Amino acid sequence: MISARTLVARAAPWLACLGLLAVWQVGALALKNDSFPTALQALRAVPAIVSDKEAIINILASLRRMSIGFGAAVLVSIPLGLLMGRNRAVASFFNPLLMVVYPVPKAALMPIIMLWIGVGDLSKTLVIFLGVSLPVIYHSFEGARAVEEKMLWSGAAMGLSAAERMLRIVLPAALPEILTGCRTGLVLALITMVTSEMIARQSGAGNILFNALDMGEYEIVYAMIIIIGAMGICFDAMFELMRARLVRWSEPQFDIPLSFS
Amino acid sequence: MIEIDHVSQTFQTSSRQDHLALSDISLKIEDRAFVSILGPSGCGKSTLLYIVGGFVNPTQGTARMKGKVIRGPGPDRGPVFQEFALFPWKSVLGNVMYGPRQQGVKHAEADAQSRALIEMVGLRGFEDFYPKELSGGMKQRVALARTLAYHPEVLLMDEPFGALDAHTRTRLQNDLLNIWERDRKTVLFVTHSVDEAVFLSDKVVMMTRSPGRIREIVDINLPRPRRRTDLLLDPRYQKYVVDIERMFDDTGEPGAPS
Repeated sequence: MISARTLVARAAPWLACLGLLAVWQVGALALKNDSFPTALQALRAVPAIVSDKEAIINILASLRRMSIGFGAAVLVSIPLGLLMGRNRAVASFFNPLLMVVYPVPKAALMPIIMLWIGVGDLSKTLVIFLGVSLPVIYHSFEGARAVEEKMLWSGAAMGLSAAERMLRIVLPAALPEILTGCRTGLVLALITMVTSEMIARQSGAGNILFNALDMGEYEIVYAMIIIIGAMGICFDAMFELMRARLVRWSEPQFDIPLSFS
Repeated sequence: MIEIDHVSQTFQTSSRQDHLALSDISLKIEDRAFVSILGPSGCGKSTLLYIVGGFVNPTQGTARMKGKVIRGPGPDRGPVFQEFALFPWKSVLGNVMYGPRQQGVKHAEADAQSRALIEMVGLRGFEDFYPKELSGGMKQRVALARTLAYHPEVLLMDEPFGALDAHTRTRLQNDLLNIWERDRKTVLFVTHSVDEAVFLSDKVVMMTRSPGRIREIVDINLPRPRRRTDLLLDPRYQKYVVDIERMFDDTGEPGAPS
């Protein structure tokens, strides 16, 4: 038996979505602008897109680049961030570099990267990689820095070498913080995925969206926005489920729900 | 067992000034002795413990363990910190098993030994709890079991009961003595509480306020096993406590230990 309160808590995110769609619907009806279809018109265009083979191929190509970019970024950024958090020399070498790169919108690098390595998969994946790296590095760095010295001493007394302490104490102790960075990184991966395809049109979800915009097919534009938004929500919910399992030991007892999971 | 030989320790403060924390400390700690280091906060007593643990290198002098110069931490010296320093991602059992597993003890054996230790520190039934689900006193019991699990020859206890309420502290002192009576490991125990030092120790090393120097070493000749309720009525115990407190008062130590 689910209590009324949990029922409300479960339904809340869905109600929020419905509310947003309702506002959209009313707003579009009131504005009567050709370039702003109603929510229902946009939703009606969704099935046509997701049943179109060409569109599916495009979206899958986007997702492939996104997962490769995200995966590679996480694999590089976590060790780098952890090392920076525990080693002053590494931190003072990389910190200024990152400070320079941080405020640059990663998609703005796209034209330069395209000049170097073309408009293909590699340049788009590289932009995603750059977009994901910084939050993951930053959170891994903060997580590693916050690891209690005495915890490392306890490990050292048990005979753990410096490398073992890194892998078996710093990494798990910093994991909640690392995963917070990865979650931000996941959303940024989706954003940079779409923007990279806006600049280098060739294939992908962003390509469908911006081509439709050029052609004035506004239902498709908004339908793609709905699809990309839904993908974002799905990824985040899946990630959140995994995260919650991994760091159950660190969660406060009564947490505020932050996602659809 | 442990020889501290003319050890001094200087720290650089945040304003880039040298601060002398320990000045010329020489001390011998015998095998199977329970020795307390007693002093006001900021006297460097914890630093002295960290030097023996190998966590901090002395600026001058050497510390030796069984004749060998201490150059780093090792499983022969097991620390128990005021901050507990448990691994929060491991259960109680996982924490206690960590050391033995690291030493290459087989899983089944480490599991059995660790469960026995958890029972000994009075936490039977809490094996699968995570540290965040335990009270401070329980956490410190786990930390003690975790350190005992890898059989260090010396226990290095850094104000282990300093963060606990008075009642929990008394119970843990009693339990620590009971556990210690079983195998009488060498214990180096840092505290700022005169009662605690006299109750637990064979020897109390009194330190002066910064820079930390050894002021006096008091042998505590009270029979063992000790029971707190008996000791509180024992004039000899009372005299030790009063004498030590007077000595701190005489030197006008600001903020003499309570």
